[in-house]
Amino acid sequence: MSELAVALFAASTDSHLLDEPRSARFERFRAELDERTVLADLGRRGIRWVARGAPGYPARLRRIHDPPPGLFVRGAAELTLFDAPCVAIVGARACSAYGAAVAAELARGLARAGVVVVSGLARGVDGAAHRGALDTGTTVAVLGCGVDRDYPRAHRLLAASIAERGLIVSEYPPGVEPMPWRFPARNRIVAGLCDATVVVEARERSGALITADLALDEGREVLAVPGEITSLLSKGSNHLLRLGAIPVTCLGDVLAVIGVEAVTTPAVAIEPRLEAVRAAVAEAPAAIDELVGKTGLSAAVVAAALAELELAGAVHQADGLYRVVMPAS
Amino acid sequence: MLARTVTHALVGIDPRRVEVEAHIQGGIPSFAIVGLADRACQEAKARVRSSVAAAELEWPPSARVTINLAPAALRKEGSGFDLPIALAVLAASYQVPERSLEGHAAFGELGLDGRLRPVPGALVAAEGARRAGLTHLVCALESAPEVALAGVEPVGVRHLGEAVSYLRGEHEPPEPPPPEDDFEVLACVPDLADVRGQERARRALEIAAAGGHNLLLAGPPGTGKTMLARRLPSLLPLLGDEAALEVTRIHSVCGTLPPAAGLVRVPPFRAPHHSSSVAGLIGGGAGSLRPGEVSLAHRGVLFLDELPEFQRPVLEALRQPLEDGFVSVVRVAMRAVFPARFQLIAALNLCPCGGRGDPAARCACTPERIQRYREKLSRALLDRFDLAITVPRPRGHELAGPAGERSAAIRARVLAARERLRTARPVRTTSADELLEHAVERLPLSGRGHARVARVAATIAALADAGEVLPEHVAEALSYRMPSEADR
Repeated sequence: MSELAVALFAASTDSHLLDEPRSARFERFRAELDERTVLADLGRRGIRWVARGAPGYPARLRRIHDPPPGLFVRGAAELTLFDAPCVAIVGARACSAYGAAVAAELARGLARAGVVVVSGLARGVDGAAHRGALDTGTTVAVLGCGVDRDYPRAHRLLAASIAERGLIVSEYPPGVEPMPWRFPARNRIVAGLCDATVVVEARERSGALITADLALDEGREVLAVPGEITSLLSKGSNHLLRLGAIPVTCLGDVLAVIGVEAVTTPAVAIEPRLEAVRAAVAEAPAAIDELVGKTGLSAAVVAAALAELELAGAVHQADGLYRVVMPAS
Repeated sequence: MLARTVTHALVGIDPRRVEVEAHIQGGIPSFAIVGLADRACQEAKARVRSSVAAAELEWPPSARVTINLAPAALRKEGSGFDLPIALAVLAASYQVPERSLEGHAAFGELGLDGRLRPVPGALVAAEGARRAGLTHLVCALESAPEVALAGVEPVGVRHLGEAVSYLRGEHEPPEPPPPEDDFEVLACVPDLADVRGQERARRALEIAAAGGHNLLLAGPPGTGKTMLARRLPSLLPLLGDEAALEVTRIHSVCGTLPPAAGLVRVPPFRAPHHSSSVAGLIGGGAGSLRPGEVSLAHRGVLFLDELPEFQRPVLEALRQPLEDGFVSVVRVAMRAVFPARFQLIAALNLCPCGGRGDPAARCACTPERIQRYREKLSRALLDRFDLAITVPRPRGHELAGPAGERSAAIRARVLAARERLRTARPVRTTSADELLEHAVERLPLSGRGHARVARVAATIAALADAGEVLPEHVAEALSYRMPSEADR
């Protein structure tokens, strides 16, 4: 069977195909297709093709019930990347600052432990996860369009840095435009590539929940980050917890599920003079003015302490609110 | 009979000498003004004739009256020519001794009842008179304090009749009201003591005042961003003589001087609405070239609320004055250079609906909308802001708390810091340098961001009266950096 012909035929007819269809149209298409030219052309553009039957095809993905005929791959990393433990981090595009911070910190910790973080290059949680992972390791972006499309456009630069150190993959040939129906299909690859899927923030009926369902269907682990019960943004993810998903309270929860040892990083020494400010932030996320009230220090001293804590990786700031980063264990 | 008076036309904010010649000859009665006079200037005919009658003087009977405004090629605009035209006609008809006009310039608009009205630009006209070697300027009484600033003896009069009796030597002009005391003027500037809580923003304002840094305030609506910005002038040093004259000149031309204010000593505060045009902000206009808001904010504060709502060309046009401290406006027929060295304070919401960052509101903006909102501001413009802070919504008990520190106390620290920055600018210690380099590695901090943090750290050290920039100063400076757009 020619997986490349199937992939190209599916794209040209806007259909979802896993195997060779029995149709005269496909036979004609296949007869006219010059695979060698196509592959040479892809090679010139720096895009690899991994057929389902080829040795580089991700083993976990091959085991799902509807594995794509092959993957178009862009990026500098080796395909052996998929042999490492992989975790998907998915969530809302319109995420909160909390969601973005947790996704980034989780990805940072996982990547440091040698785990490959997989996500969909969307805005919000996906983007934060890719960025976090790039800080300490590598990441894979799965697209619902051609790997040359860099969708969404706002993540053009992010896509470029992923291509430098990780991989961008898609079952669609280059040039295929993003279509709404292609994203759920993309999500099955995200879930299929990974040992576990972490949902950070998701509304009801969101794409992240589809990914979680697909992961469950394939018997992969599903974890969810608890969110505010009063926020619509965490309704979907909290619902997953009620259904029995594993709650993520620290990096160790995720590592334990996939059986990866945590890399013990030398704990950043927090100077005693910064401790009062750190403790105030740890109580609840707060703006500088509130911290001034809580600690009795001046705005200048609090600001300087927060900047040092931020550099030490102990606190994180978004939209004027400071919060402590997620605990490692 | 021919008679001549002298006045000055405004070209941008510069005076140009204009001679007003009146010629009276026999013939069919007529009254004509030649010499590129615009509409307001042509309408002087009606005002001048009525004023002469109202002053119980005589319009030359059965005579052709011709007024020439020389140089004839210069476009003349506005109503300031009324008085010189009237005086020239009266001199040509022997009602005012022509000798008495020597050493005098005239400037002002006449009413139909002969009263003299002030016209914007009296200070510039007076400076022109001084440069032309004239000693006196006949003008409206309200303009007299302005004229005195230029070093020309003002002859402030209320009525054309009064001007005539002065020239005939029958009457001394009334004394102009004394200019207000600088400190009384300062008392009218809003005080930072009115702002309760907001410790972070108060501190940022103090640093901005000390270092002359541009400041970006982000936060949900109703958190006091405008109130804070309005209080920056109260922290700045009063303007020196030269700067005050520059500022007063611009405000004189634009007619924005308060009556009887004397020199503008308090740094001006301008807050143009976000619907402003490029010409309105930068200067220009279809007819005469007028200074824009950036020049009205010269040596003071320009506050742009709702920064992303300004049209993109307006924002991009701001970059040049921010860099150079002046604007050069060029039209086909003329060209003007206006000073525009101002401190920029800008405010924006965190998202288009304004709900983001406000615990009491829910933001319903899609990520795409937020992205579009923020993309309206170019990197190049954001690079001009040394300080950026998020202003949270103050909590109830902060608003009920005691009043904040008074502006006068903060200004004293600002003045000391400015002095230190000028004489012995603090330099970074080795450990402060290390912290800064560490920050460049850890944070998304560009080369320009590095330079901004270094500048702000020096200001913070000067405010702390430290001889060197210590790590704690660098750390505080880091907390004012522009939030990284990459996190979105």
